[in-house]
Amino acid sequence: MYSQPHMYGQVAYAAPPSYHQPGPSAYSYQQPPPPPAPVYFVDPNSFRRDYAARLAELTINSRPIIQTLSMIAQEYSKWAEIVAQCLEAHIRRVPPWIKLPGFYLLDAISKNVYDPYTRHFTPFVIGLFLETYQQVDQATRSKMEEMLLTWRTASPTGKELFGVIPQLAIERGIWGGDSNPTGATSGQISRAQVLSELEFTLSQKERALQSNAWDTTAQRHVQILQQLRKLVEAGVSQDELRQILTQLRSLSQAPQPAAPAPPTTTTSYQYQAQPAYPRQTTQSAFSPPVSQHSSSTTYTSYALPSINQPKSEPVDSASLLSSVKSAAVPSTDIAGLYSALLKAGIVAGTGTPVGAGATATSEDTVTSSSENMSRDAARAYRQSVLSQNIRLTNADITRKRPNIDRLLYDRLPAQCKQCGVRFSDDTLGKKEMEDHLDMHFRQNRKANQSLGRGHSRSWFVDLDDWVHEGRVDVKGKGRADGPRPTTNKAALAVDAARRDAELRTQFVVVPSGDEAKSLSCPICKETLKTEFLEDDEEWVWKNAVRKDDKIYHATCYAEAMGSMHTLASRLRQDTTSRSRSGTPDASRATPQKGNSSVRSSQSRSPDSKRATLKRKASIDDCSQSSVKMESNGTPPMKKMALAP
Amino acid sequence: MKQWVLEPETEYRFELDPNTSLAIKVRSSTPSEPTPQLAHGQAEVFGAELAEGKTYLFGTECRAAVFTWQGCTLEISRPSTEYVSEETPMAAYANVHIAFEQMRVRALRVVHGSPASDDDANANAEPPRVLVLGPENSGKTTVCKILTNYTVRAGQNWSPVLVNVDPSEGGWAVPGAISAAPIRSPIATASPANPLGSAATSAPTALSSNALIPLSYWYGHSETKRNPVLLDRLIRNLGENIRQRDDDDPEARVSGLIVDTPSSFASSSSSAPDNRHTLIKACVDAFRINVILVVGHEKLTVEMQRLFGNRFTVVKIPKSGGVVELDHGYRERVHKYQLHTYMYGQKIDPPPGITSAIVGGEAVADLVLSPSSCVIKFGDLTIYRIGAENMAPSSALPIGAARMLSEMQPVLVDPASSSSGLLNSILALLAPFNPDESERYDEEILDLTVVGFLVVTSIDAPNRKMTILAPNQGSLVGKTALVGSFDWQE
Repeated sequence: MYSQPHMYGQVAYAAPPSYHQPGPSAYSYQQPPPPPAPVYFVDPNSFRRDYAARLAELTINSRPIIQTLSMIAQEYSKWAEIVAQCLEAHIRRVPPWIKLPGFYLLDAISKNVYDPYTRHFTPFVIGLFLETYQQVDQATRSKMEEMLLTWRTASPTGKELFGVIPQLAIERGIWGGDSNPTGATSGQISRAQVLSELEFTLSQKERALQSNAWDTTAQRHVQILQQLRKLVEAGVSQDELRQILTQLRSLSQAPQPAAPAPPTTTTSYQYQAQPAYPRQTTQSAFSPPVSQHSSSTTYTSYALPSINQPKSEPVDSASLLSSVKSAAVPSTDIAGLYSALLKAGIVAGTGTPVGAGATATSEDTVTSSSENMSRDAARAYRQSVLSQNIRLTNADITRKRPNIDRLLYDRLPAQCKQCGVRFSDDTLGKKEMEDHLDMHFRQNRKANQSLGRGHSRSWFVDLDDWVHEGRVDVKGKGRADGPRPTTNKAALAVDAARRDAELRTQFVVVPSGDEAKSLSCPICKETLKTEFLEDDEEWVWKNAVRKDDKIYHATCYAEAMGSMHTLASRLRQDTTSRSRSGTPDASRATPQKGNSSVRSSQSRSPDSKRATLKRKASIDDCSQSSVKMESNGTPPMKKMALAP
Repeated sequence: MKQWVLEPETEYRFELDPNTSLAIKVRSSTPSEPTPQLAHGQAEVFGAELAEGKTYLFGTECRAAVFTWQGCTLEISRPSTEYVSEETPMAAYANVHIAFEQMRVRALRVVHGSPASDDDANANAEPPRVLVLGPENSGKTTVCKILTNYTVRAGQNWSPVLVNVDPSEGGWAVPGAISAAPIRSPIATASPANPLGSAATSAPTALSSNALIPLSYWYGHSETKRNPVLLDRLIRNLGENIRQRDDDDPEARVSGLIVDTPSSFASSSSSAPDNRHTLIKACVDAFRINVILVVGHEKLTVEMQRLFGNRFTVVKIPKSGGVVELDHGYRERVHKYQLHTYMYGQKIDPPPGITSAIVGGEAVADLVLSPSSCVIKFGDLTIYRIGAENMAPSSALPIGAARMLSEMQPVLVDPASSSSGLLNSILALLAPFNPDESERYDEEILDLTVVGFLVVTSIDAPNRKMTILAPNQGSLVGKTALVGSFDWQE
């Protein structure tokens, strides 16, 4: 039951344990070897040797190995070319039955690190994919098709991962004809293509259903899709195939409900929660599916990013509302499609509704089995600890030989190569280690995303939040402090919106006498709006920032700096790592000492996102009346970097 | 990098001079170059295991040791002082840890309602709540850290609460504060500036011990004798809140707690035994202590056994020979490092030739912070001092004089006054008062937790403005802060 998460792959790996996908025999349990230790390399040749050696171990679909290799690739993105060469050579060299894990690695690196890797993969990905596709068996082919479909929207901007041309070239290569049903040139659409896209959408819906078993819309979708599959398998006309394909595309691309969390979770406390990975085993009810979901989002930025959100994540009602609306769209689509087919007499309206009970029951089984497992583990540990004959007395403590090796090392043979934390090698330990590696993955990714953005010490939490940190949720099973909020599209969107809102609250005081003067932003050339601040009794330019005696829109400036920063920091990274000089990071995050007299009227602390949800008694709530700033020309203040 | 081969149960000790740093790497086996089984590295710094092949940096006059249970090979750059010791108290500490684990698993069994087995039917089912006492330079904080790290390493999801009631140490906050934080991942050692891990920042961190959520109260002085009545009250506040937390989450309670104490609790010279005993008793009551560990002090052990021996266990544990005598100057510098680290994060420049390394388990970039400096009006922030500034010692008061009042009295500090002493002072920004007027009470300010620390960097009396260095950009308007006796200048 827990074998699936050890494997990397869109379906197998993201599916909750109770997932009933046909063909489970393909996922028989394989024990992943411990991930190899990352070593620091100074020269590209030894890096190449090592990376190739590690790749050679990728002979089974093991998520730990793929994760480790992907993490190394991320860490050494300056040698992306070497990684690309090694990976291409590896996939070409190995026999057909172990090519798929190599592709999963390519997939993981492309989706998670994206740049510069996709640039290096693009030149060979078409040829390699098609060549491999010809060599592998049918089961592997459908896995590859599935992966290919995720590439359509897997770039950070939601576009084709390797660009539209390679995507179409590969699709044409495996399905033939014009794979784009709405395209001007109307080629043949193969049944195989429709079927694999159907499978893909179906698996998405089934996953959605897993994470929210009471979602009747999803239930209906799954049901209809299953019937559609039967239909297509039985054979339908070109026109119908085209129609189905178009509908499927709009379905799988439609925004999905963000975090189908029960309303109770919105009350979860907000503080700068560190995720407490060891806690995860105690949140039992939803833990197995949820944590796997959250991990899957780190791999899959495609199609259904938000469904997999952990339940513990605070959800603001606005996004919930809008997601409800967007969820309604596909429902009409699919129902419309179905009814059209029904009218045409192709489908008989005899489906019996899928009972929610079935799913719920299987979930309960999972729950109790994982609970039993942790109880068993706790019992085994208890016996092991109690068997040691030590009493808390001066004599016992100083004279006995502690059997500590066993407790701290031997019992926990699997070790995280990133931070040294250990895990047992039983099923529970494997799952914990996976969650732990996912945590590192998210953290690495988050760190990369926030490069160049200044960080700061957070305020300590409220007494109430501190005391109730461990509060169990309403069901009394899961804990409020689930895994660290994952980085997925939904979270990023919220983050971006928040940053935008904060930027817009920035203002520059209009120098006296200039009130009537019209000023335009040097970037967008539009006029800056003035406004009178009652509290400060001053005219200000809204959404404005002063840099080098020019006034910009704060939003324009941030955007411009953002693109510059990514470029600059990349350059800086490249040069410093070559010149072996000091830390390249200091310059990035040290406070900018400028003559800026600008101040955001809101805290940019990371909790402000959460602050919008619930902020009982926090430091930020008086910030509406912003601290009055000096007017222009007064002594400079030390400022935290306003750059994005 | 020099190579050191450590035999089982030995430790490599080092001391760093100011402005130097040290890089340590546990040799690992790479796929191309397998190393012999014996040299397979298993090394730990104060109970936190080092990952093989990663280069760890240490700095800001760090004095620490890399210990190995099974032997390891280390690659180390040149520190100021280094040697290998074969005599360590680690076996005794490990035994203490195992005894505590036995208490935890028994307590958990009761929470789970599992049946007792024969060997522990009559045993106490309370989790370990440990008070660590010891004289100056006995390694109390290190003992606390080792025991905490072993606990979280058990793989049992323990999250012991680590409590620091030594105001001169500061813990996760800054000197002058006493605080508590649940620990869930091993605490890395890199610098004396954050001996117990770091409080949360906006940066993503790999280890949760670098993003701790402390509960903190402001005492404001390094000496416990300066205002023992206030310290007593704050200790009880801390204990009360931990108790509430335990009630809220019985499973977390099972992990127990470990309390690090100031050396003044142990030294008979610096304060009257009454005072010491009052504060020790305050800790025992507040945290419902059921084990006292005394680090290397026979007389104190006997004293504690006499006081508490009929209620719970008092055990003496050996002191490590690696403990370094810390002089006053060193402590002063560490205080400066701590505040600097609180504001600006931790930046350790690697020794020459090292290009990629981690500090305390984190990428170096993620540890650099940008504080915020802002000018506020005098009226924006209300500042109090607890107790009269220059209190006469208790002995100088007439017998039965109302000492309590003046020691606990919040005194408003006027920044405009030249004698305010605010310039360069460290302020503790407090959580807001109860919004419900009917719930307010006279001494509420004493019971407010700290949300952060500020420094007054300049005062412009004519314009009634002052410049404040704050950890982040949160607004200070309408807030209340406390000043103590700590100053800081960059």
